[in-house]
Amino acid sequence: MTAAADPRSDRALVGKVAAGDRAAVRLLFMRHHARVYRFVARQMGSDAMADDIANEVFLELWRQAPKFEGRSEVSTWLLGIARFKTLSALRKKRRESPLDEDGAASVADDADTPEVTAMKDDKAAALRRCVDALSEEHRSVVDLAYYHGKAISEIAAILSIPEATVKTRMFYARKKLGEALKAAGHDRGWP
Amino acid sequence: MNAEEKMSRRDELEALLPFYLNGTLTGADLEAVEAWLESDPDAMAALAEAEMELAETGAANEAIRPPADALSRFSNALEQKGGPERAGASEPWFTNAWHRIAGLPAGVGWAVAAAAIAIVLLQAVSGGVFQKNNYRVAGVHQDMSKEPFALVVFKPDAKMAGIAAFLSANGASIIGGPTAGGVFRIAIAAKTVEEYDRIVTLIANQPFADKVSPGRRPANDS
Repeated sequence: MTAAADPRSDRALVGKVAAGDRAAVRLLFMRHHARVYRFVARQMGSDAMADDIANEVFLELWRQAPKFEGRSEVSTWLLGIARFKTLSALRKKRRESPLDEDGAASVADDADTPEVTAMKDDKAAALRRCVDALSEEHRSVVDLAYYHGKAISEIAAILSIPEATVKTRMFYARKKLGEALKAAGHDRGWP
Repeated sequence: MNAEEKMSRRDELEALLPFYLNGTLTGADLEAVEAWLESDPDAMAALAEAEMELAETGAANEAIRPPADALSRFSNALEQKGGPERAGASEPWFTNAWHRIAGLPAGVGWAVAAAAIAIVLLQAVSGGVFQKNNYRVAGVHQDMSKEPFALVVFKPDAKMAGIAAFLSANGASIIGGPTAGGVFRIAIAAKTVEEYDRIVTLIANQPFADKVSPGRRPANDS
């Protein structure tokens, strides 16, 4: 049975959602919510806001299902919606509390740098901290490739950037990881 | 190829490794990475580093735990913000409408159901839906003027689904209402007075029934 013919496939379920099937949207929620939630939480840095945004993503799925053309995987479509809503929320947050970033920066100045903190851990834990410490634009590409299993073209669609930019961001993200690990005493030979 | 160009190529291949690992690399990019892995002793070490990145990125993501009650809160949000229902593609719209109102409190649900039936009847008259008796909507009887019936007021918190199941199991169905006082006309499929009384008494004893008044009895009553 092909994915398209499988009535339990994501695409078939979106078709049912488009036809008004609320059980189908709940099933898609159960399949994809955790990953969407994590994708949003990693960008927002706030569990409470991630919860609201993740819910909004699936409400948008309910509203937009009739317009879904099936040109991408459903998970890619959902992550694209999540990305858009997260950026909107971040812009709103910055408008409403512009001092937050300064405050966060001052707190960060007093804390260990990722490199210093990483020195206290083994290599795996150090690497995890370094991934977390990447800039949002680099971490998104890393998360989408390593955790969400997305292709270059899919990441380009989710982030609304050219495919060449995906490769460039991945290159610099991995380069920064290597440099941070090296600074923490874990030289891996590249860069 | 000079050292700078070699480094550039290495950088490019390093950028492709995550996509090689997640299985999405195709075409020339895939061939280039595989050729590198076969020919360069450093490549396997680079792949091992990328595998570690994959594992730790996964661990960092999995450490984020979504709320346990996420589904129930989403379901509530869907009911509140989801907007109007859409007609289903796999079932007739009337069936879908029936399923939806089945979950409503009786006072609301039956009013909606009655309106839906009225629309069907109106469509039947104006659009010729019923032709040569080859189509019949459940609960719409062809000669309602002679049908035995009872008048029923449902409790406000009674659920459509339970009422519908009970009526269906006992040969009864809604054929009219509600009036301004919330009174519904229930067709009773009874051929004898005894059978009619039994069904009406049964309805009156149900937790969803607030008031039940006998209406027209079967013909042998007269």
